[in-house]
Amino acid sequence: MRLVICAKEVLDPDAVNNYALAGRLTIGDDGTITQSAIPRLMNAYDEQAIEAALRIRDAGVECTITVVSVAADPSAILKHAAALGADEIVHIKPGADGADCAGVASLLAAYAGGTGADLVLCGRQASDDDQGVVPALLGEALGAPIITIARDVSLSGRTVRVTRVTPDGDEVVEADLPAVVTISNELGAPRYPTAARSMQARRMAPTLLTPSDLGLAEGELAPRVVLERMFAPEVHGNCQFINGAGPAESARTLVALLREERLLV
Amino acid sequence: MSSVVAVTWGLASVVEAEELLTLARRCGDVTWLHLGELPDAASEMASRFGVSAVNHVPGPAISGADTLVAALAQYCRTAQPRLVLLSQTFESRLIAPRLAGRLGSPIVMNALAIDLSGAETRVTASSYGGDTNSVYRMTGPAPHLVAVMPNALQPEPAATPTSPEVEPFDIGLNSAVERIRVVTPARSEGQRLEDAQVIVAGGRGLGNASNFHLIEELAEAVGGMPAASRPLVDDGWTDASRQVGLTGRITRPALYMALGVSGASQHMAGCSAAKTIVAVNRDPDAAIFRYAKYGIVGDCLEIIPELIRAVREG
Repeated sequence: MRLVICAKEVLDPDAVNNYALAGRLTIGDDGTITQSAIPRLMNAYDEQAIEAALRIRDAGVECTITVVSVAADPSAILKHAAALGADEIVHIKPGADGADCAGVASLLAAYAGGTGADLVLCGRQASDDDQGVVPALLGEALGAPIITIARDVSLSGRTVRVTRVTPDGDEVVEADLPAVVTISNELGAPRYPTAARSMQARRMAPTLLTPSDLGLAEGELAPRVVLERMFAPEVHGNCQFINGAGPAESARTLVALLREERLLV
Repeated sequence: MSSVVAVTWGLASVVEAEELLTLARRCGDVTWLHLGELPDAASEMASRFGVSAVNHVPGPAISGADTLVAALAQYCRTAQPRLVLLSQTFESRLIAPRLAGRLGSPIVMNALAIDLSGAETRVTASSYGGDTNSVYRMTGPAPHLVAVMPNALQPEPAATPTSPEVEPFDIGLNSAVERIRVVTPARSEGQRLEDAQVIVAGGRGLGNASNFHLIEELAEAVGGMPAASRPLVDDGWTDASRQVGLTGRITRPALYMALGVSGASQHMAGCSAAKTIVAVNRDPDAAIFRYAKYGIVGDCLEIIPELIRAVREG
């Protein structure tokens, strides 16, 4: 059984959030955040997708776990993937123009399809652009069923069973392999790399692939969705603070105000 | 005028359709495509929001994801619109990019605003959980696909109502083979947060899981629904169905009470459309106070019991 997990490097969203809340986020003309102090790490949902794969292996399914990333230099997150327990790490380098979500999906589909992936696991979305379209585009390119927002994934023979977190509660679905599944945060925290694994990971080198290795011409990957600029939206606060003599008085004042506005009965 | 198709199905929320039709009208000449049973109010809404034509693909065969994607792809190949707009819902978050993949069309999700000029489409979309907005330029073959964030704009009826005909649209498709089998369907647990008029939300400021009952008690006292920020759900303090935010529920209550919630963008994406937000937080600089109309600086563990008392004293 061949499990392929797609991973992306992102800026630490908590650090971005802290800068944004402090109003100190700086954004360059090319639309990227310029603060060099913000750490780069693996998209948390993708880390959980690796965790989902490791749980499948823990459940006794004989499988190889490959983590693949499309980027100029994803070596840090690929090392992390190896330390978490990946058997193989793969670096796909896009062309000079980079790749949009569709281009990334084409490259991943060419890789997953060409290497006979049985199950492709992706994070539900990347915490930088929040687009969440690559898994669906990848599934369409493979002609495979796509199951989104999983909290649990298990394999039985050639069938994948997934518990999805839907607005109406959990839903359990099945599909035949090959399939694409996206993992949500409800899966739970990923494990930490062990010391032994981290040592081994240092010796593991990623397999490097180019678009032409995957049978794709650069023209096919020309980005059609291009980030032109990015900005921090302004929020104008106008909060009326209630300063009662103590919690009881503040609470009574607030409730009285809300009753006046007929927001509470 | 550019041809714009606003796509709906299911329609759990009338406001969502009104937002979609408003944005569509600002982009061009609107055809409203609805799949499945047409709501009674559809004709009147189409007229009020300045829709030029209503295309209706009757259900109920159109339901599963594979059938929806096949039907929409078939429609787009026939009608050849310039722009296809969808409301971003749990379902369309999957359907829209699958449709883009099927058609080979560019797509942008989380859209807040759209600007059409010539063959290019410019879309402003939420990114970094709402900490930033990204402006994307879309090129390439039509249709360009855009999924619109709930609450991205206020619905606004057209200056001049139209009188569109509702035309049945035959897509020449019975149903596609559904490759995903439902073993256990989701069971809706009564009222949805999305429909609640009053929401009482707890955050990290509650300290620990055993204090979440305070949120539930206050919610009961004010006749609202309890909710939580994502860290509480991740740590198992409450169920995932209670999570408000970018990756949870997008709500629009009349009153949102945020207690011990810091106000991170990811959370605010799920409640910033509330008519009135009130906040209790220990930190006077907490981001939540930038969104709140009324605020109390203090420990929510001391203030929530007093709020419950004040409400019950009535």
